[in-house]
Amino acid sequence: MSHWADGSPEDDEAEESLVRPYTITHGRTASARDDLTLITVIATVAPDERHGDRGLQPEHRMILRQCRAPVALAEVAAGLNLPVAVTKILVGDLLALDRVTARPPLAVAVGQETDMTLLQAVKDALLGL
Amino acid sequence: MPYSDSDEQTGSQVCVAGTSTTPAAVKILIAGGFGVGKTTMVGSVSEIPPLHTEERLTVAGLGVDDLDGVERKTTTTVALDFGRITVNSQLVLYLFGTPGQERFWFMWNDLVHGALGAVVLADTRRLESSFASIDFFESRGVPFVVGVNCFHGLRDRTVDEVRDALDLDPGIPVVMGDLRERLDSRDLLVALVNLLMAGRPPAAVSG
Repeated sequence: MSHWADGSPEDDEAEESLVRPYTITHGRTASARDDLTLITVIATVAPDERHGDRGLQPEHRMILRQCRAPVALAEVAAGLNLPVAVTKILVGDLLALDRVTARPPLAVAVGQETDMTLLQAVKDALLGL
Repeated sequence: MPYSDSDEQTGSQVCVAGTSTTPAAVKILIAGGFGVGKTTMVGSVSEIPPLHTEERLTVAGLGVDDLDGVERKTTTTVALDFGRITVNSQLVLYLFGTPGQERFWFMWNDLVHGALGAVVLADTRRLESSFASIDFFESRGVPFVVGVNCFHGLRDRTVDEVRDALDLDPGIPVVMGDLRERLDSRDLLVALVNLLMAGRPPAAVSG
């Protein structure tokens, strides 16, 4: 029998979901790829039919469908309705299988001059809204 | 499977039918106290309805009674809403409405890291709710503009009054607007981009 203090506060909240997020990742809590960010753009490499889907979980297949048109990892997480950290693990699986590609965000360092061409493009797009 | 070889990483010419090159992404943070209009602003300029995601962060002994000297860890869920503006075929801008509690941003480095800049939203009835965001971006050297949310065109304070009350650096733009209006929110983002294009490092205003 467990002591009352063993329970952690998130236990109550986690019951909203039928499957605990880290069950989907087989207990893994960290991605093998620590370079994935919220705005890393994920793109599916090939149509699903070309490869077998053996070994892929439903969430993996959802990612492959969603990323036929490239989207940022945050959008993938929103689409799966899973925490960002869990999404990173699943995307990392697909990267290891070469089923998706990941484009890192453009480097924008604090205090560093940002590329003027990029800023002008952003401004033009905003003015076009 | 005649084409399967083409999936190998050759570094170039890995173009798959239907997908041209993948665009890169940049982001701008929308900050400010709870209920100040972050998601409203994201929604007014985003090309998609605001999306919602969350992260579970481990909080070491924060505000938890220490029962027996053993450091306890708890997990907290931090949520954010975000939207998207496609700049062109090669570039996508994401707008992230940050969690209201700034203390979580430090634990969520990915959220702040690599942002072009930030918009701090303020409500004239409770300007103090914006202090923490302003302090945060100033300390991190993240360029930001301040947007004063004026519902129904109600402007009970002038730009100078807001600037004084928030003790803002003269170089930081303050823009009034109704964030439900796409063009007002747009103008706030343009003010930020203009600030970035002026290339002003936060510490050196003199020229």
